[in-house]
Amino acid sequence: MNKELEHKFVTELENNQNIVHKVCTLYTNNRDAHKDLFQEITIQLWKAYPKFRGESKFSTWMYRVALNTAITLYRKSKRKIQTQDYESVIFKIKADEYDATQEEQLKLMYKAVKQLGDIDKALVFLYLEDKDYREISETLGISEVNARVKMNRIKKKLRTILNP
Amino acid sequence: MMDELELLKKDWQSKEEHLPKLSYHDIYQMLWKKSSSIVKWILIISILEFTLPHLLYLFPGVSKSFETYEKLGVKDISTAIWIISYLISFYFIYQFYNRYKEISTLDNAKKLMEKIIRTRKTVKHYVIYSLSMLFVTCIIIMIGIYLSDNLLDAFPSANDGEQKIAPEEFKNILLWTMGVFSILMVAFMGGIYFLLYGLLLKKLNRNYKELKRLEV
Repeated sequence: MNKELEHKFVTELENNQNIVHKVCTLYTNNRDAHKDLFQEITIQLWKAYPKFRGESKFSTWMYRVALNTAITLYRKSKRKIQTQDYESVIFKIKADEYDATQEEQLKLMYKAVKQLGDIDKALVFLYLEDKDYREISETLGISEVNARVKMNRIKKKLRTILNP
Repeated sequence: MMDELELLKKDWQSKEEHLPKLSYHDIYQMLWKKSSSIVKWILIISILEFTLPHLLYLFPGVSKSFETYEKLGVKDISTAIWIISYLISFYFIYQFYNRYKEISTLDNAKKLMEKIIRTRKTVKHYVIYSLSMLFVTCIIIMIGIYLSDNLLDAFPSANDGEQKIAPEEFKNILLWTMGVFSILMVAFMGGIYFLLYGLLLKKLNRNYKELKRLEV
């Protein structure tokens, strides 16, 4: 692979790295694992990059590869010692930004989302990223109707977690 | 709930600027790191599974057993079996390679999982086939031992000791050893195989089932 391709890829990934960080935040529980998953996603993106024809946006393409890596390809690396769960920046709520009830509610919501299974998480993630049901269904390989049904079930599940 | 999820969405999207930021250099370094994806592990384990049994023949003890087979009168059968088994192995490798090449992270999640499962199935069939072959080979040798009249000639070392073993007794010992050995070997290899893939594909199978459940 030539230098030009490398440069183009790294620049695009650098500009869109938030997507990967958000996937890592959802699917891992500590800093080392976050870094580990980020690395694996980068490798998978790079491997698939020559096949990226620019038919879709770089970011759209990234969602698919990143989620596929997190759900299917990634194996938790054994070499690191499990450090205590870290609360990544995305789950931290700044007290001054919200009133106390809302803050508490959001905290509980994030916690509940973290407890979901891999597939449910992917659905919630795409939903939070403002993707429509067509894109959600295409990314996961289920029908649009089923994506909606599943999302409704997840909402119910979240509700039970929030109000036991 | 709808409102709560909308609230979460708003909050989620407002957090972007607080996410970690990696530099160009950091990302560039990552391109050259080794992948530890399950697909890579399946490839490594499969290569080992395809090559290890064949490497066994390089051991002097195993190649010597050819002479033993000859004396047992099963040489022609075992040579034929070996040639066929090589052909079958190559067929499996070819099929494995094709399926492995089809795995792409650009597919949707379900399709990707299906392709990985299909690739692994090729290996699974190969392992089942190899274990059956191992078992059949052991049985052929056992038949050879059973039918052989000059068993002690086939195993000259058995006659080296001071005490001579009665041919009948020797035949019985050999038959029992072979029988126990073949069962243990097949059970052991099968156990390792299922444990290995069971652990490796636990997550994939769970998620695949979850996606499949949606379709019914």
